[in-house]
Parts: sequence; structure tokens; C-alpha cells
Amino acid sequence: MMLTTTILFYVFSAILLVSALLVITARNPVYSALYLVLAFFNAAALFLLLGAEFLGLILILVYVGAVMVLFLFVVMMLDINLERLKEGFLRYLPLGLAIAIVGVLEMVAVFWTAPIGRVPAPGPIPANADNTRALGELLYTHYLYPFEIAAVILLVAIIAAIALTLRRRPDTKSQAVGKQVAVAVRERLRMVDLRGPKP
Amino acid sequence: MQNALFHWSFAIPEIWVLAMACVVLLVDVFVGERQRDVAYVLSIFTLLAAMALTWSQMGQTGFAFFGQFHLDPFTSIASFFVELLSLLVLSYSRKYLLRRSLYRGEVFVLLLFALLGALILISGANLLILYLGLELLALSQYALVAFQRGNLRATEAGLKYFILGALASALLLYGMSLLYGLTGTLDLHQIAIALVNVGSANYLLMLAVVFLVAGIAFKFGAAPFHMWLPDAYQGAPTPVTLFMSSVPKIAIFALFLRILVDGGYGSIEIWRQLFVALVVVSLVIGNVVAIAQTNLKRMLAYSTVGNMGFLALGIVAGTQNGLASAFFYAVVYAFMATAAFGLIVYLSREGFEAEEISDLRGLVRTRPWAAFLLLIIMFSLAGVPPTIGFYAKLAVFQALIEAHFIWLAVFGVLMAVVGAFYYLRVLKVALFDAPAEDLAYGADDPLAASVLTVNSLALLILGIVPGALVAFCYHALQGVL
Amino acid sequence: MLGHYLPVLIFLLIALVVGIVPLILGSKLGPNRPDSEKLSPYECGFEAFEDARVKFDVRYYLVAILFILFDLEIAFLFPWAVVFDSVGMTGFLAMMVFLAILVVGFIYEWKKGALEWE
Repeated sequence: MMLTTTILFYVFSAILLVSALLVITARNPVYSALYLVLAFFNAAALFLLLGAEFLGLILILVYVGAVMVLFLFVVMMLDINLERLKEGFLRYLPLGLAIAIVGVLEMVAVFWTAPIGRVPAPGPIPANADNTRALGELLYTHYLYPFEIAAVILLVAIIAAIALTLRRRPDTKSQAVGKQVAVAVRERLRMVDLRGPKP
Repeated sequence: MQNALFHWSFAIPEIWVLAMACVVLLVDVFVGERQRDVAYVLSIFTLLAAMALTWSQMGQTGFAFFGQFHLDPFTSIASFFVELLSLLVLSYSRKYLLRRSLYRGEVFVLLLFALLGALILISGANLLILYLGLELLALSQYALVAFQRGNLRATEAGLKYFILGALASALLLYGMSLLYGLTGTLDLHQIAIALVNVGSANYLLMLAVVFLVAGIAFKFGAAPFHMWLPDAYQGAPTPVTLFMSSVPKIAIFALFLRILVDGGYGSIEIWRQLFVALVVVSLVIGNVVAIAQTNLKRMLAYSTVGNMGFLALGIVAGTQNGLASAFFYAVVYAFMATAAFGLIVYLSREGFEAEEISDLRGLVRTRPWAAFLLLIIMFSLAGVPPTIGFYAKLAVFQALIEAHFIWLAVFGVLMAVVGAFYYLRVLKVALFDAPAEDLAYGADDPLAASVLTVNSLALLILGIVPGALVAFCYHALQGVL
Repeated sequence: MLGHYLPVLIFLLIALVVGIVPLILGSKLGPNRPDSEKLSPYECGFEAFEDARVKFDVRYYLVAILFILFDLEIAFLFPWAVVFDSVGMTGFLAMMVFLAILVVGFIYEWKKGALEWE
């Protein structure tokens, strides 16, 4: 069992890394978005291996199901000119690489010298542990305050998205079903006396 | 559930602002175009009542929501100031917003939510809360900056602000996660206890603090993390700039205080060095580059960079007095910036922003009273006695010398002299140049005019009798160490 | 617990085989005579005038982002449903406040007409 998990961990991690690399190197942004989907799936698998069931499934549900759809919309909305996008790449490559190398070296140096493991690793997960239940029991009681703040942030996102992108189009013609149903005979039909004066 | 851990009544100002923001949103959407003033008046009332609620809590201390909410003198006093500043922003900008069809419920609601984010930051005692508060504050501001959809410059400013702001949040979050990995807790007071055993020679702690300071400096707009600031300030509608230059400064100081003093005071030897670097670069860039600016909003943006350098001098001192002087500086700077941008808002009219320095030519002939107020504001920003700006700088320098950073204090004074030049240049244009024929300032706006008068005169009067404000600000930091 | 996911793993493996093997079979077994002419438009076709991808309307974005926001709201409802029996009144009220805040947003977007497709 242990061995299987280890093998699976390496398989999923390898696919995750490769697809993450492909996200930034793919020529076509739509491919990038699809590789990102693959990366999310593998990350979800890693969460599952760690026993974080809920997080893994939410990752698929929210990120793959919703966020990536938005990404694809945006990619298509922008009508990106690929050639122009690539122009700056080579010019900034040396600088970007230099910064990345410095960052990596710093982190290697830190993790090399720092005594990791100050916090004791959590014990093995009990067989009947329920991840979602454990999360829920904390989230709605102990972490109630951040939970409500999260709602406020979502509300602000709604307001901002609508305020920034919604525009009325008075020129479009649409069917107002409510008005059609609510119409009364008197508004559509007018009885006119056509007899006129008697000859 | 132990109700004793709840103490939700400590958060009444926050709950009030949240509830009223929702009410304003709904009222505006139902009452609609016809009665915009209803939303405006309701927002003003919300802020007044919030100030009263905060004031009534003054002196109470304690924790709420399982130690995630910290009510102490700092919380009450800083909350009071950000509420007052938001009130000023709203009162300055009514006419401006009306003239540019920005007088919409969403603007008020987003301002209230940004304020709520600041309030959450100020009272946060947990890394998670601080991050959420910061995001709430930032998210509302991104939307406000880009609110004028048709305006290309505003959109560009919003985009730049958003991308760099998200980068800063990421840096901060990375630092927070390292701190969490090191101590195993999100609670700032437990982090403080855990750090006693870690010691400041730990490389992981160094990395965490570097990221935290970088994130905080980004949000402060201290150089070399200031690139977003001039564009965002210039591109945003002036009332939004007015907000951005005042409320977040106090809120970000609170963020610094909570993370690096309440939680990370054990790492002072690390962050002090970083702040020394920030101070030097900010003072040079802020004060020198500002000289080259012709746009008043851009110049004031660089002035912000320089002033964040002066503020950070108090942080470098790191003592009780130093931190108190930094808070005092943040408060004073926020009121000076409000007055300066308030003046721009006041002078603008439809299709004319009054944002170039040359737009102020001969102001003394056309608007003598505004020119007099400009004189006070610029003197205060430059730190000329007897304005309150002078006392703010004095307090910072005193604390610095007490902490034996003599050379840094000397450098600061030198840069203050350099900085005085570009403030005085604005005055020269306004007082001695001939007025332009074609310039016409905004039509009379009694509300903005009276608020501007009170705000500017306060800079002078508080400079003559600074005792009460100084004591108030220093009281906030009592017992923080 | 991971044993529960064994069917998913097997499913993934089969999907992988079904996805990849026909491709390999096709390329190995079929005749393969590449020619640049085969990639050009047909005799009666035209050269492409422009990129096949056209700009989308920004309204799609609004729909997608509103979907994400309410999707997230639902994500918070799952664990709540699981622990409903044990979190008591506190948990119930916490969720009610959460929902109330988002209902305000919902009313706003409804009244603003963000849900309408004109």
C-alpha cells in the first residue's frame, strides 16, 4: 500500500510538473489553459493522496469546472496576437532567468541550512477520519470570522465585476415575456364604431 | 460553544459598516437613478455612526472570535481615524463625482467595503484575518481605480495596480506561509511566543521576514516597490486617489504593526535592516524624482514615496517611541494628503482636472482663499513650522536619535530639505506666476470648500497646539511592545 | 480511505489506454505518405482571410465570473451539510449570515440586469 502511494505520488507529481512547464511554453494560449487543467487534476490527485479529500475535489469542481472556463473565455475574448506576444520574450529572457536563478539559489541556501521540521509532522491519519467533517467543524465555529469575511470578499467581487463590465444595450431587440403575458385585451383591441352617420 | 470566546460586540463597528454597505447597495439599486442622494446621505450617516460606535468602544480591550479579533487602544484609535478619513473623502467628492457621472451607489459601497477591509486589518490578530482584510481593501480599490470604464488612462492604472497589487499580496502570503511553517500557528500572539525559541539567526525566518517586508513595502508604496504608485495615482479619479493616499496608509501601518511587532517582534534585528534600506531608497527617489514632475497628482505620488520613507524612519527606531512616532506620522500624512488631493478635487470642474502644476498659475489672484490653504498644505507637507507636518517629522527624528541612528537622522533631515524645494515650487507657481487667461476653476461647491477649509486649517492649528493629537496617537501604541 | 478511489484510478488508466492506443495504432498501421500539398486548402477553397478565432463579447466573461462566485458559495455549503448535526446553532447562524451577504449580491445583480441576455 505504502509503495503504491509512493509510486502514484511520483507519477502525479511528474505529470504535474511537465504540464505546468507546458502551460508557460505552449505556443497557443488555449493549449496553455488546457495544460493548466491537467495540472489542476494532478494537484487534486496529490491532495487525495495526502488525505485531503475535500480540497482535492473542490479543486476539480471550482478550478477545473469554473475558473478554467473563465480563463478560456478571456483567452478567446482578447484575440491575442501571438507573434506580438513573443517579441518581448527573448529580450527579457536573460533578466528573467537571472532573477529566477537568484531566487532558486536563495531558497536552496535557506532550506539547506535551516533546520526543517521544527513543527512535528502530523501523525498517521486515523482510518475513519473524515476530512470534510473535520474541516466543517472548524470552519463554521472556530473560523467563523474569516468565513464571513470571505462572503464579503465574494460580494465585493460581484459588485466589481458587474460595475466594471455590465453595459446596457438599448439597441438590441428582445422579447419581454412578462409583458406579453400581462397584456390585457383593452391594450391591443379597440372597438371602433364604423357605422358612421346615416345617409 | 463557549460564548465567552465570541465577544462579537467588540466588532460592532465592523458589523455596522458591513450591514450598512449592504443596505446602501440595496437602497441604491431599488431607488435607482432618481434619488442618488439617498445612497450618498446614507453612506455619510454610516460613517458618522461608525465613528460614534468606535468612539464608544474607546478604552475597552480584549479578544473576540477565538483570539482572531484584537480590540486594544490602537484598534479604536486607528479605526476612528480611518472612518474620519473616509468621511472626508466622501464629503470632498460629491460634486466631482456628479460632474463625471461617477455619482453612483457602487462607488459609495466600494468605499465602504474598502473601509471595512481597513477596519478588519486594524483589528486582526491572526495571519488569515490580516490577509483577508488586506484583500478586501485592495479588491475594492482596484475596482474604484478602474471605475471610469471609458477612460483609457484609468483602465491602464487599474490594470497596473491590480497586477502589481496581486504580486505584492503573493509575496506577503508567501512570507505568511513560511512564518506559519516555522511556528505552526496562525495566531500572532502564539507566533510571538514561538519565535522566542527560533531566534533571529534562523535563515527560514529571515526569508519569511524578507517576503513580509517586501509585501508591506509594496502596499505602502515605499521605494523600490513604488512603481505602481505614480500611474495609479494619476490615472484614478481624484476622489479615489484621495482615498488611496489616506486610509490604506494607516491600514498598512496596522498590518505592519500586527505582523512584525505583535507577532514578529522577535525578528526586529532582521526587519530593521530591511527598513533602513527602504528608508534610504524611498527618501532619495521620493524627494528627487518628485522635482522632475509637472503633474501635480504624480508629484504627490512621489511625495507619498518620500513620506513613506520618513514614516519608516520611526519603524527603524523600533522602540515604543519610534513606533508611536511612525503611527503619528501615518495619521498626519493621511490628513495632509487628504487636504492636498481635496484641493485638486475642489478646483476641478467638468473636463478639467486641475492636476497639472501649471493649472495653479496665479491661483492667489483668482482664488485667494484656496491659495492660502494651498500654502498651509504645502508648508505642512514640507515640514515647515508651525504646521503639524513639522511635528510629525520632528517626532520621527527624535525617536531615531534616541535609538542611536544619528547618521540616518541626518540623512533624513537633508532629504527633507531637498523635498521642501518641490513643494515650494508649487507655491511659487500659485503665488507669483501670472494667472492664465483660459483657466476657470470649478463652480462653487460649499461642502467641499468648507471641508477643505477645516481640513487645512486643522493642519495649522494642530501644528500650533499639537499636544492633544500627539498624546492621542502615542496612547494608541501604549503597551504594544 | 484511498481504497475508495481505486475505481477512479482504474478508470483513469483505461481512459489513458483508450485515448492513446488508437493514435499509436493509427500511425503505425496506416499508410503514411506526408506531402505539403496535403496541408494546403483544396482547389475550390480560399486562403483564410483571418484567424478563425474571433473576439468574444465581454458578456460571456460576466456570466462566467458570476458562475464562479456562486460556485464558490456552493463549495462552502458542502462541508456545512456534512457537519450540520454537530456544529449547532453557531454553525447554522454562521451559514445564514454567509448566505445573507451573498443574497444581497444576488439581489443586486438581478436588479441590475446582469442576469439578462438582451
